[in-house]
Amino acid sequence: MSTAQISMPAEFFSQLSVNFKKMPVWAQSTINSILGMSILLFMWWIGGLLIANNPDTEAFADFAPGPALSALWALIGTEFLNDTIISSLERIIYGLFWGIVIGVPLGVLMGYFVGMRQVANMPFQFLRMISPLAWMPIAVLAYDTWDGAIVFLIVMATVWPIVFGTAHGVQRIDPNWFRVARNLGADGFQMLRRVIMPAIAQDVFAGIRLAVGVAWVVLVPAEYLGVTSGLGYAINDARDTLAYDTLAAMVVVIGVIGYLLDAVAVFLIKRYSWHAS
Amino acid sequence: MSTASPIWISDLTHYYNRKQEMPTLDDINLSIPQGQLTALIGRSGCGKSTLLQMVAGLLMPTEGAVRIRAHTVTKPSAKWNMMFQKPSLYPWMTVRENAALGLVFAGTYKQKKDRVEELLDMVGLSEHKDKNVQDLSGGQQQRVALARSLATEPEVLLLDEPFSALDAFTRTALQTEVAQICHDQNITMVLVTHDIEEAVAMADQVVIMSHNPGQIVGEKHIPLDYPRDRNSGEFITLKDELFAEFEKIDQAKQKKPFERLEVPKREVKPPVDDSLQQAS
Repeated sequence: MSTAQISMPAEFFSQLSVNFKKMPVWAQSTINSILGMSILLFMWWIGGLLIANNPDTEAFADFAPGPALSALWALIGTEFLNDTIISSLERIIYGLFWGIVIGVPLGVLMGYFVGMRQVANMPFQFLRMISPLAWMPIAVLAYDTWDGAIVFLIVMATVWPIVFGTAHGVQRIDPNWFRVARNLGADGFQMLRRVIMPAIAQDVFAGIRLAVGVAWVVLVPAEYLGVTSGLGYAINDARDTLAYDTLAAMVVVIGVIGYLLDAVAVFLIKRYSWHAS
Repeated sequence: MSTASPIWISDLTHYYNRKQEMPTLDDINLSIPQGQLTALIGRSGCGKSTLLQMVAGLLMPTEGAVRIRAHTVTKPSAKWNMMFQKPSLYPWMTVRENAALGLVFAGTYKQKKDRVEELLDMVGLSEHKDKNVQDLSGGQQQRVALARSLATEPEVLLLDEPFSALDAFTRTALQTEVAQICHDQNITMVLVTHDIEEAVAMADQVVIMSHNPGQIVGEKHIPLDYPRDRNSGEFITLKDELFAEFEKIDQAKQKKPFERLEVPKREVKPPVDDSLQQAS
């Protein structure tokens, strides 16, 4: 009797849906995440099959998940992969560091002074819309080293979201918080440490999260430039040596690290968020 | 403890800008007694909040001065503390952290931890010390602000309509509690309000202000014991008398809306007792 019921697809799916909704929320979200990744992997696999079965493209068959993942497995833990990742992360960290050093004070000024905001808004929105990669010729002229040029490109990518995020945070500060703190005897430094910084932290980190996203996307093409290390270089090199499985493995590495960087930023936003849940 | 006036306002006149024909505050002379609650009442725009901000050191008068004991007030201090209409708590801090903030600024929180705990118990927040302030009701938030103001052991507590945003039950309860604290802890309080009942419920004396220009037109002593029965004959009589005062002001103002009311020149006692000159 029960087999007869389950053989009816509609019945089966409604049963499944009811049971799924009974699960705890974390289990539901985990299952959904796994489902999403499975769909992605499946599409990759289909794509690999299509490439392999087309006589025009069969030379690229190593893009498929099988060869790519075994190439990745072979790469994990090798000095080559570690150096590649570290070079890229170093550039991101330098770029982000300068983005923050430049962007946060600019954002504070923009958020605090209406005049500054009016002056800076148009030019900054204009500059923000220029792809950081468009600065490449200028960067190459301006910097002696390729590394310097790449960090400059990353800074051009990171500084705008940080400026606007910070400015947004400062604008949302309740003026009464200053009045009360002054009234309780806060000096300038205490005002900064106890009031301004915690008040804007979550917006600054939200800006940094956007910045990390853009920076990571910009990094790979930036590393096609003269450098001989980093993920972008590794991809370019794999293409030149026709090592398509390594190339696809690098793409996976880029995705995974990007995801982890974003997760760190999300953690920081949550950690410093003070909005009522 | 001396009964000399800790707060002395002399010949104070204020213009927000030079184009004003009428001063916002006109020749204010007032001395406020130690350990008592003084209410400033008047219609909106009579400058009562402006005057309070000058006592707090958040605004400087155009002419004249506010002195608190031997100090001419020029800047805010935790010794003369202000409570605002909105509690303005810091949402990234717990109840305890908010209440302790003045002590943290002064660098004395470690020595005076117990005081914060006691104050939070006193204002009825024992159960909520570790909560986020956003999870509290409006009345509870104002209680946190009260504990925060009291933590630094101010000599003077200035209250700028601190109960006006609360519901009637909470407001009545807090009015009674704050007046009690004022007398129990010998803190001099100045309350700004437009609520005559609140003034009669809380104050030892009421200062009546008129607008255009902002001036003091009368003073009334409230000789009632605490806790006060709001339905007693005396209470209602005092309330009616104050209402009558305001009707008189209104009638005078209807005839001549932008003229000074004739009031006798007020004499204030200079602060005799400077024995408490603080090093701060």
